[in-house]
Amino acid sequence: MTQHDPQNLQARKARLRNSFIAQLPHRVRELRQHLSQLAPGQQDAPHLQEIHRILHTLKGSGATFGVPEVMSTARGAEQSLSRVLDGEAPITSKLLDELAAQLETLERLEFEYAPSLPQERAPEVDLPAQRSGRDIASCRGEHSIYVCDDDPEMAGALAMQLGCFGYRVTPFTSLTRLCQAVTTAPPAAVILDVVFPEGRNAGPDTLVEINRITGQRVPTIFMSNREDFAARLHAVQAGGSAYCTKPVKTVEMVEILDLITDTTPAEPFHILIVDDDPDLAQYHALILEQAGMVTRVLSDPAEVLQQLETFKADLVLIDLYMPRCSGLELAQVLRQVPRHISLPIIYVSSETDAARQFKALAAGADGFLTKPLEPQRLVTEIRLRAERMRTLRSLMVRDSLTGLFNHNTILQLLEIAVAAALRGNTPLSFAMIDIDRFKQVNDGHGHNIGDQVLMALGRSLRLRMRESDVVGRYGGEEFAVVMLGATAERAQQVLDTLRLNFAEVTFVGAGGQQFHCSFSAGLAALPDFTDAATLQEAADRALYLAKRRGRNRVECAPIASATPPR
Amino acid sequence: MHILIVDDDPLTGEFSAAILQQAGHHCELVEHGVAALERLRADETIACVVSDLHMPGLDGLELHREIRTLGIAVPFILLSGDDLCRTPDQHRDISAHIHKDETLEQALLQAVARL
Repeated sequence: MTQHDPQNLQARKARLRNSFIAQLPHRVRELRQHLSQLAPGQQDAPHLQEIHRILHTLKGSGATFGVPEVMSTARGAEQSLSRVLDGEAPITSKLLDELAAQLETLERLEFEYAPSLPQERAPEVDLPAQRSGRDIASCRGEHSIYVCDDDPEMAGALAMQLGCFGYRVTPFTSLTRLCQAVTTAPPAAVILDVVFPEGRNAGPDTLVEINRITGQRVPTIFMSNREDFAARLHAVQAGGSAYCTKPVKTVEMVEILDLITDTTPAEPFHILIVDDDPDLAQYHALILEQAGMVTRVLSDPAEVLQQLETFKADLVLIDLYMPRCSGLELAQVLRQVPRHISLPIIYVSSETDAARQFKALAAGADGFLTKPLEPQRLVTEIRLRAERMRTLRSLMVRDSLTGLFNHNTILQLLEIAVAAALRGNTPLSFAMIDIDRFKQVNDGHGHNIGDQVLMALGRSLRLRMRESDVVGRYGGEEFAVVMLGATAERAQQVLDTLRLNFAEVTFVGAGGQQFHCSFSAGLAALPDFTDAATLQEAADRALYLAKRRGRNRVECAPIASATPPR
Repeated sequence: MHILIVDDDPLTGEFSAAILQQAGHHCELVEHGVAALERLRADETIACVVSDLHMPGLDGLELHREIRTLGIAVPFILLSGDDLCRTPDQHRDISAHIHKDETLEQALLQAVARL
């Protein structure tokens, strides 16, 4: 509060407004948690008062910062509440539904406001697509999850925890209300307690009932204090997808949810076919396409390099004998280009002489298929090699613990991304993120728990960043993100939301004690800095600053050639 | 002028501070009424209090009453998101009651300038 620059007011206003919008999801989650503690007929004034207070603040800030939609929604919800608070009306399920609907509205506003950037041009960047379906999290925010536990505190806490990982969670305490909700608005998954006041197996029994009514299998995770075989068997027979014992580990739960709600099909293999005989090439293409692959056919080897610029091939199938440029020569050309060194090459030929085959392979190819090719054999050979190549490549570029890009890869990708952003004159931000006091976690709770914290942050980053963003583990407890198309302001907003969410995640130590972690982040952006190296240095300095200013915060590196303060 | 801002929402508090600092005032921010009372007792240079109405614990009107009970005659400006008519008439020595909306900036500057 020492800045006196009058021209600063507009900037500060904008920044405050952004913080307000960034905090909104967090506030809505708080509201949801309090709401989950309320039941019809109850007289639970503290939660009601807390809801009222948050709504009131939202109303005021919404008006102050010129976000009228938030203001009016919060006002509506506040009015619904005030009659109950004044003692004029009891808590009814109608009121609770009304409040839930208003929270829903608030949550939707968040999507209209915070993440929407003006449509940017697709950056011309040569970045490996994140292929595994589980990495693609763009639609995760739309996954609605129902949690049902007769203990309202448990249901509310779990709902809030999962909310931190990008799931939209509605808590229930009664099986009847869960049934109603599942039939009217089917969720992506249900998390269901086993033991209820209705019976020792009321959870599984209810799932059977739900599946009977809807005629579908709702993906369901059971959670229970019961560890006995009978309970597990009952859950399996009822159609449960997974079974977690209490206390529930949030990270584990998220892993399972990701698996059972993932509807993204695996990216099909992309195969480039080079053959001077167009009929034969088309025939091979047809076989592979029927097996679900994507193919591109070229009859002129001279076009291969150019084609590979746009067609991200998993494998190249080359006819060994072609005029002007043989398959062998083409393979040698491809191997001269560093980024094609690991691209699998398979020759197709009628050559049966083993010595000649060997010579051809020595040029740097991976396999040899002899014509005439049986369709099934072609498909199997190609799928095996392409699959293995994908696995190998992901091992080379990814960190084994978090599944994120590793240090070297992220630096390479940063260079490529910066070059593309400068060329296209598009914004780009680079952030370094470091978990606060991570050593204390490792020392106090052991490395396994420390790894869980790293995985949780890695996952949050993957979920929260856009698919085009590059997320990596820089080493130790340090992460890095290249945010394509994001200005410093936008990046700061995204990171702040992430920071608030991450701070809410409850970790459970080896002895069952709960703890929280936070992170600090340093941010640097184009055009404040003009190349990968200075971006990196600046982000590092900003991170240091964030640490020194008390941790659990995001600092943006000041423009290198800033005018000196007056 | 040395102004004490009391707001349980740090964002709106900082916003009020930004407005007043732009006009050259020196602002100090606390998040609840008790902290405000402590500061007022400790620092006599505080020349104005700008307080939110709705706060957990001590609300704006209660804070105002406590300040007067302590015999401190510092000008008091109340901010709230509610309709102004809800402020009872007996709080006549409240210098201004300002609505938290898009008019806040101008109204706050005017109210402080009139002191």
